[in-house]
Amino acid sequence: MNTILGLGFILLTGLFSSRLIHKIRFPAVTAYLLLGILIGPSILNLTSPELINSSGFISNIVLGFIAFGLGQSFTREFFRNIGRPVLWISILEAVLPWVLVTLSFFFILKQPFYVALLFGAIASATAPAATVMVVREYKAKGRFTDMLLGVVAIDDAWCLIIFALSLAFSKAVAFHSSNTFIFKVLFHSLIEIVGALMLGGLIACFATLFSKFIRNQTELLIYTLGFVLLTTGLAILLHLSVLLANMFLGTVLININKSDLEFFDVLKVIDSPLYLLFFVLAGVNLEIGLLKGIGITGIIYIFFRTMGKTVGSVWGGYIVKVEERIRKYLGLGLLPQAGVALGCALIAKNDFPEIGGMIFSTIVATTVIYELIGPLCTKFALQKAGEIQI
Amino acid sequence: MQVKEVMSKEVITVKRSTTLKQLLEIFAKFHIFPLVPVIEEDNRLVGIVSFRNLINVFHSRQSEIMKAVPFLDEDEEDIFKVEFTEELGNLALAEDIMETKFITIQEGASLEEAYKLMKLHLKEEFPVVDRAGKLVGMVGIFDIIRQVFRQKGIIK
Repeated sequence: MNTILGLGFILLTGLFSSRLIHKIRFPAVTAYLLLGILIGPSILNLTSPELINSSGFISNIVLGFIAFGLGQSFTREFFRNIGRPVLWISILEAVLPWVLVTLSFFFILKQPFYVALLFGAIASATAPAATVMVVREYKAKGRFTDMLLGVVAIDDAWCLIIFALSLAFSKAVAFHSSNTFIFKVLFHSLIEIVGALMLGGLIACFATLFSKFIRNQTELLIYTLGFVLLTTGLAILLHLSVLLANMFLGTVLININKSDLEFFDVLKVIDSPLYLLFFVLAGVNLEIGLLKGIGITGIIYIFFRTMGKTVGSVWGGYIVKVEERIRKYLGLGLLPQAGVALGCALIAKNDFPEIGGMIFSTIVATTVIYELIGPLCTKFALQKAGEIQI
Repeated sequence: MQVKEVMSKEVITVKRSTTLKQLLEIFAKFHIFPLVPVIEEDNRLVGIVSFRNLINVFHSRQSEIMKAVPFLDEDEEDIFKVEFTEELGNLALAEDIMETKFITIQEGASLEEAYKLMKLHLKEEFPVVDRAGKLVGMVGIFDIIRQVFRQKGIIK
């Protein structure tokens, strides 16, 4: 199957399969991922090698889009809207899985520290699509539901920051190990991070400066897309963090933009087919052969991520003094894992060819498990918190 | 020519405390649901309600905070099947359903500027405000088009 035929086939079957899976109340992303696994080389082998090779390209663009979109969360108004309790709980439920999964992979599985750190960072992601779907499905209402949605709304932003920091550190450790001093590692990580922030900020200033020449929505779409790709491309060229550069582009843009231009909304016109492709290709990239070897890795990952999410929520809940039913069950509602985790795993796969396959396969396998049991846990949590009647 | 010369000065407005029921009754006579400015006692514009905001009443959760979240499925709530209690008409207030982020145009802006802004934001109507942010009128794309026809001598 040639690449263009493959693309057409993926878009149409993706659309069809998402409608099918909607009937059994799963988010579209689960359908895309399963479709990818089905048509990938391990099962039906319907995809061309060119298409599989373009996964890195597509995932970089998609993650650029996501990071750019999440950047708009960092405004005073947004933080006022979500409130202090959500902020604290979201930070702890994101940081604790990072710490626990990293430590467990390092001490129990004896993985190198930089590999453990990457697993830990990916563990902090959640899947808002699955959570929102359960909330809508059962018409959940109340303070627990509001806090749950608030936490999933900001969690992926924390995850991208944690992953970008961990990735910078891991690359510095892995690629400069011959003459490693902790100072040198920190210096390389710092350059990648600070450079990305400067790049994103600088491009945002340019984007604002020239935005007065925009005359209509078509031009705005081209303009915004151009700047996101420019940021992504320059970050890759300069070996800076693509995620942080795009996130900061979004953050600076929303905070200094006085022209009311809807930079973020306009990209929504084109992001859906790209997201579909991204998930299907994530599934295609799964090497089923590698799954045999990930049994204990997967179990440790699931166990410590679950523990991190629940303990983090309880801890955060204590700090901000929310009622017991919220702090007790909120973590359970945060278990689904999907897009952002897969995207981070794809980056790890590209950046660390030797161990990336193992990271990616573990994350795809655990994503499938989490996407199947996660929504049930979310429903259980909402039920226990008394905000749905079933 | 400035916006204030062609805008409609008599605008039907609502307060923050206007209920959904009152809102629907006020506009029952209109052919379409217009863009409704929500104002404070001192005429300061604080929000707008459009038919989109009315549709959002049907959605179980359409929060502003979820805007940045990727991969969300569209909320496919069937408005014909949704169950409401009668109290909603009195419980939902303009303040709850209005948009607080909206675009206004200054009364001193030129018609060209107003037209450009309408094209850029794909809107056909804007609230017009003075320097203090108080509502002074509404300008629609038809006001501008009519003015162009007037300038060409097609209408007086």
